[in-house]
Parts: sequence; C-alpha cells; structure tokens
Amino acid sequence: MTTVAASSSKSMEQALFGKPTKAKSIERVVFWMFRLATYFVLLCAAVIFVDIFYKGGKTVFQSEFPFVNLEFLSESPQTLHVFEHEGQQYELSDTKFREFKETIDETIVTETYAYSGGGIWPCIVGTLLLVLGAMLIALTLGVLSAIFLSEYSRPGKILNAVRLSILNLAGVPSIVFGIFGMGMFVLAFGWNVSLIAGWFTLAFMVLPIVISASEESMRAIPQGLRDASLALGATKWTTIRTNVLPYAMPGILTSSIIGVARVAGETAPIMFTAAYALRDQLPWQGLEHWYDFFFQGVMALPYHIYVVSAKIPQNEFTSRMQYGTAFVFLFIVAGIALASILMRIRMRKKYRW
Amino acid sequence: MSDQDPDSRYDLGSRQRSFLGLTKESALKGLFGGNAFVSILVLGLITFFLFKEGAGFFGQYREDLTTYRNSGLEYVELMREEQDALSALNRYLNSIRTLQSEQLSASGLEFRDVKAILRKDEAFFYDFEDLAYPLREHILEANEIVATARDSYNEMLDLQEHQQNLLKAGREDEAQNLTIPEVDLEMMFSLVKEKEVEFLAINRQLESGMPKLLDRAPEYDDSELSLKLARFKELASMFILEIPDYELKVVSWNRAESVSLGDAFTSFVFGKEWVTNSSIQDWYGIVPLFSGSLLVAFIAMCFAIPFGVGAAVYVNQVANPIEQNLIKPYIEFISAIPSVVIGFFGIAVFGTLLRTVSGWDALGWIEFFPLSERLTGFTAGCLLALMAIPTIFTLAEDALNNVPLAFREASMAMGSTKLQTIVRIIIPTALSGIISAVLLGFGRVIGETMVVLLCAGNRIEIPQISKGVGVFFEPVHTMTGIIAQELGEVVNGSLHYRALFVVGLTLFLISLLINYFAQKIVIKFQISRG
Repeated sequence: MTTVAASSSKSMEQALFGKPTKAKSIERVVFWMFRLATYFVLLCAAVIFVDIFYKGGKTVFQSEFPFVNLEFLSESPQTLHVFEHEGQQYELSDTKFREFKETIDETIVTETYAYSGGGIWPCIVGTLLLVLGAMLIALTLGVLSAIFLSEYSRPGKILNAVRLSILNLAGVPSIVFGIFGMGMFVLAFGWNVSLIAGWFTLAFMVLPIVISASEESMRAIPQGLRDASLALGATKWTTIRTNVLPYAMPGILTSSIIGVARVAGETAPIMFTAAYALRDQLPWQGLEHWYDFFFQGVMALPYHIYVVSAKIPQNEFTSRMQYGTAFVFLFIVAGIALASILMRIRMRKKYRW
Repeated sequence: MSDQDPDSRYDLGSRQRSFLGLTKESALKGLFGGNAFVSILVLGLITFFLFKEGAGFFGQYREDLTTYRNSGLEYVELMREEQDALSALNRYLNSIRTLQSEQLSASGLEFRDVKAILRKDEAFFYDFEDLAYPLREHILEANEIVATARDSYNEMLDLQEHQQNLLKAGREDEAQNLTIPEVDLEMMFSLVKEKEVEFLAINRQLESGMPKLLDRAPEYDDSELSLKLARFKELASMFILEIPDYELKVVSWNRAESVSLGDAFTSFVFGKEWVTNSSIQDWYGIVPLFSGSLLVAFIAMCFAIPFGVGAAVYVNQVANPIEQNLIKPYIEFISAIPSVVIGFFGIAVFGTLLRTVSGWDALGWIEFFPLSERLTGFTAGCLLALMAIPTIFTLAEDALNNVPLAFREASMAMGSTKLQTIVRIIIPTALSGIISAVLLGFGRVIGETMVVLLCAGNRIEIPQISKGVGVFFEPVHTMTGIIAQELGEVVNGSLHYRALFVVGLTLFLISLLINYFAQKIVIKFQISRG
C-alpha cells in the first residue's frame, strides 16, 4: 500500500501505459512462486499415482485375453517357483508347480520366492469384510447418536463438552486405537486376533468422525423447517423423519463414505487386532460353528502391502507382487474417496439455505 | 430446538398406543439416547483404558528399577563407566595405529616393510591394552555374580506368584510341592562389595602405570600422527585425573537407597535410552522416540507449511475458477492415498532416489553427502509432508474463504495491488484459521504410523543436534513406529507391554492438546465480521 501511496502521478502513468510498477512486478514474481508451489504438490502426487498405476498395471493387466490377470485377483498368495525346464523359463505359483511336477518325471531344481506367486484374493475379501462390519457398527451407533445429540438433547454446557470431546477424539492417531483394540478386545476380552476385534477397533476409530459429521449436517438444516412441521401437529419423530433426515441424508452419506475410505485405508489399527500375514483358508472355509466366523483373523490389503514390502527379502518377483497389491488397494480406496468428493461437490450445489 | 414438551392435555402424541408404558415417541427417543450414551461411554472407555493400562507401568517400572539397584547391577554399571572411558581411549589409540599403517601403505612401501615399522612400537600399544585388562576381568566377574543373583531372584518372584495362584485355585498340595529357592540379594551383593578393595587396587595400578607408559610413547615424524598422539596423551591424563571421580561414585553408591515412583517417572520421561530384551537391564526412556517423532514432524512441517499454505493462497486468491475446480478436489483426493501406499512408495522409489541424488558430483560439497542410508528421517519427513499438505490446504483454504469480501474490496479500492491485499489484509485476517490448520497438520504428522515405520530407518537413538543439518539424514525411530514394531511381540501385562501403552497414552495426550489448541486459537482470534 505504501508503495502505491508514495507513487506520484508519474508511476500512475506507467501503470496505465504498459510498463509495470515495482509493486506489480513483485506481485507477478510472488504469484508465480505460489503457482509453482501448488503445481509442485500436484506433480508429487501424480508421480506416486503414475508410478503405482504403471508398475502395478503390469501385474494386474495382461496383453492377451481376458486382459486382466485373473490369477492375481482370484488366488491366494503363494510361494513362487522359478526354474528352467527343457530350455524354457518357468515362473509358477506353488499349486501350479505341483501340477506341473506331476506331468514330468525328473526332479526340478527351483528357486523359490515367498509371497511372490499366486494372488491377493483373500486380502480383498478380508478388507471388504472388515469395512462392511466396521461401518455397520459405526453407522448404527454414529447416526443414531447424532440424531439424539442434534434433535433431542438439551443445549448446555454438558452437550458442548460432549461435542468438544468427540471432535477431539476425531484427531487421535490411529495407532492409539490400535493399541487400545489390542489391549481391550484381543487381550482383555480374549477375542484374539479376529474379525470382530478388528470391526470394533475400526468402528471406534471412525465413530467420532461419523458422529460429528452427521450432526453437523443435521444442525445445518434451518430451524424453520422443524418448527413448521411441529406447528402442523406432527410429532417429533415424524418431524425428524420427514423434515430433517431427508435433507441431512447427503451429508450423512458423505461422512460415511469418508469413514469407509478411512477404515479401508488404515493399517495401524488392524495390525494387531485382525490381520494375519498369511492364511490359507478363506473366511468361510473350515468353520466348525457359525460363530467361528467372527473369531478368525483375516488377511487384509494394507497389511499385506506392509508385509511384502518390509518383512520379506526384496527382489524383482516380490516387487511385482508389491506393486500389484498397491495398485488394487489404491484403486479401491481412491475410488471410494473420489465418490465422496464428487458427491460433496454435487451436494453443495443442491442444498443452499 | 424445541425443548419443552407440549402440555400433555394438548399433546396429540399422547393418544398413541403405548407398549410397556412406552409410546412410540419415547421409545425412539430412548433408542437414540441409548445409542448416544453407548457412543459416549465407548469413547470415554478408550480414554479410561489407556490411562489404566498406562498407569500400571510406573509402579512396575519402579519395582524393576528397585531390583536393578538391590541386586547390585547398578553398582557394576558404575564401574563399567570407567571401563568404557578406558576402552574409548584404547580405540582412539588404535585409530592412530590404523592411520599410521594407512599412511605407510599409501607411501608405496611393501606390506612386509610396513609391518616391520609398525612392530617397532608394538610393545607400547599392547601394554596399553593390557593395562585395561584387570579392570575388565574384575567387572566381568562382578557382573556374573549380580546378573545370576538378579535372574534367580526374578525366578523366585515368579514361582511365588505361581504358588499364590495355585493356592487361590485351591490346589494346595501342588502349591506345597513347589520348591522355591531363597535368594538373598544382599548376601550375593556382599560378595561383590567385598572385592571393592581389589577395584581400588586396580585403580591405583592404573594411576601409577599409565603415566609411566605414556612416557614410553613412540615418536612420529608425521605432523598429523604426532598431533593425534599429543591429543591422546592429553585425553589419557584427563582420564587419570577422573579416576577418583569414578571411584567416589562406586564407593559412595548406596544399595539401600529406595527407588521412588518419581524416579521411575523421571526415568521414563527423561530417560535417554530405550533398550528392550537386554541381558543386563531394560530401559524405557521416551526421549529418543519423542525426539525422533519431533524431528520427523519438523522436517515434514518445513515442507508442508510453505507448500500447503502457498497452495491455499494460490487457489483461493489467484487461480481462475477452472483451476480452482480442478485443484481443490485433486488435493483433497491426495489425502485419500492410504499411508501404507505412501510408505511403500518411499521404500520402493523415493528412498533409493534420494540416495542416488545425494551421490551426484554436483552435490559433493555437502559434507554428509552421499548418504549411506536409504531410509532416514528426511525420507519419512518428505513423504509425511505430502500427507499433511491436504489437511493444511483444506483448512487454510476454508479460513481464507471466510474472510469477508468487503475486506478485500475495501483494500483494492484504496489502490493496493492484489498481493498487497493478500499479505496485509487477507492473511492476517485468516491467520487464526491458518495457524489451527498448521497445528492440525502437525497432529496428523506426529500420529502417522505406517510411513515412519517403513521409511524412517528405525534406529533408536537421540538425534545429534550437533551434526547440524546432517541430523536430518540419520535414521530415527518414532513413538508411533515403536508401538507398531514392538506391540506384536510383547507379553500381556509385562513391563514392556505397559511401556508401549504409556507411549500410546503420550501420543493420545499430545493429539488432544493439539486439537484443543487448534480450536482455542480459532475461537479466540476470530475476527468480528460486523
């Protein structure tokens, strides 16, 4: 401002006729710096996306029909056997290698690589199960609590304190929920590493987010709508059902989708509560009782990425597996997140009070 | 919100049928209220559980430290301090010898000739090494005794507990059959204490022997070598002067001094070592982990603040609407990349890339380049920055968006440029929001687990600030990382398990504090928009 104030009519002329003033030149430089900073961030993220989609794509897709590597998507992780037979290079997963061995007589010397063959089907199933169960718990508890907090509870100091603590809990690191779940569900309740322990841990992790976001969207609805409904003689529940929930629904849905993305993407809470590094059976196989289903550990995509990238020796064969898993995982989580972002953009346009 | 229930006489709802004395309305209210109650209860339970498990740590740690003192391990450790100083001297002396042999080989002499020259002053080096021998033997012997005593004492405690459990379970005859060895720590320690005279004698020997030996030190023509040797002599005479201090510490050490709860607490909060599964003594000091977390977070924030806030200002104030509509969802989208994927990228690509870049000739002038490690605090910090940027960006952009348009218009009407408006009007107005955005970004970084676990290198060591910028390129360990790494292998209820809970509790409190301040700042410095 001082520059402009100090400038006389001479610089005014300059401003009008082409040659920029000093302030303008500085502005251009600074704006370019901002622009570069922004695009640099976008570029960094793009590098990650491209790297994972390009290298992972090689594992997940193939050039011949059916273009998708079905073995990778439908098998469980196995040891990879690499060997030469009659002048030909073979890379076979454990089951296929056994079949192959039946067909020939001679013994074959192979190099084996753990976790590098087969696919990731159990991990996909495990992640889906974890997300479904955790969201069922979190949404039931969360949305109903939000209705109570927003519509029934009396405003006052207690309510504010409750709101504040819920909001604060939303920022607690996921590993803290992990250690809590381990101590509480796995050890104190004796559930061991199991689906149900993972469900509750993940559900409690997203519960604060679901409650505060749902309540927010309900409180954003103008009071007039409720008053009008009550004035017409509707009961409280009818009012909520017809005049609050329909308008709050998009907000609740968005918050729940954010919750899904978070539940699917987190590794730390399930490391000790639900995830196995390797399990031969799928969750519905080999159950003695129906309730055993809940008390079994599962494989999960994020934990599998951690295991194959940090716990086993690295080579070109494991690297293929790593990128393939990361691709599928990123694809799922990013897809969910994209849906929530698009929905939020649409919703912003739809309801304006 | 209508809080007063309408007078029941006019309440249409009261005509509803009721079931078990509950109308549909009140049943629904009860359902919602019940859920809210459960939710709040659960969230309170988490806090309570963390505190409960964590609080047990200090009592247990105190007992552990008491055993450490009573068994005399602490006493032996005090003697070992002297030994360590002596070994450090010896190492320094050997480095001189290594340097000499390197110099000789570099000057083009045959291996045999080098050896011959080195052999000339061999006696001095060997004698110096022998000087340390009696002390080492003495400590080894003492350590043997106290460590055995400690182990059998712990075993006795375990057996006693087992017996108590058996008695509780009503299996008395089994309990009777248990033979529990009596371990008298004091008696065992007195065996060591008796030999204190020997320790003192060894020290006298050192005090008299070392100066004599130093007089026999070889002389070098080379300036570097003689400089180093002079420095060695200086260090050695300093050591001789320090011997009485070491001795005093050992002699005045009091076995009977009790370990208070406060000692256990300070040993955790200010403890410089985190050592687990050690044969001598496990230490649970949070300082290396806490400083590691802070270091990584600091590196991350160095990148995340300029880029995050810069991008927010650009998108909100400078960019055209098309850019806005593309960049905003894109950056929000970045926050959806799971942390384990970013960590994996760090291991597979970024760490290697950093090391390759550090090996470039153009960067040779930086003293700590090329890097020896692939995974360092810097690797993790850079990746964490990318995770914090969306948080900072979204919240800061919101804050900028909330600045009333009139402020901007007024400033522009006064003839200021866009940049002047941004720097003088808009950013100061939105500052509280931006600060809270930065705080929440920091909270996200310090609580992040997978990236640091995969990429920070996981070496438990306090970062040496004296190294300057080079400290950023050292492997570190973090609070989140240690929980993730060690929780899988601990025994339920053990000291180690509880120690990890206290680390988790610390993280919990830090994140609560950050959130609390972030909210306070927004409320306190809110601008009046009147």
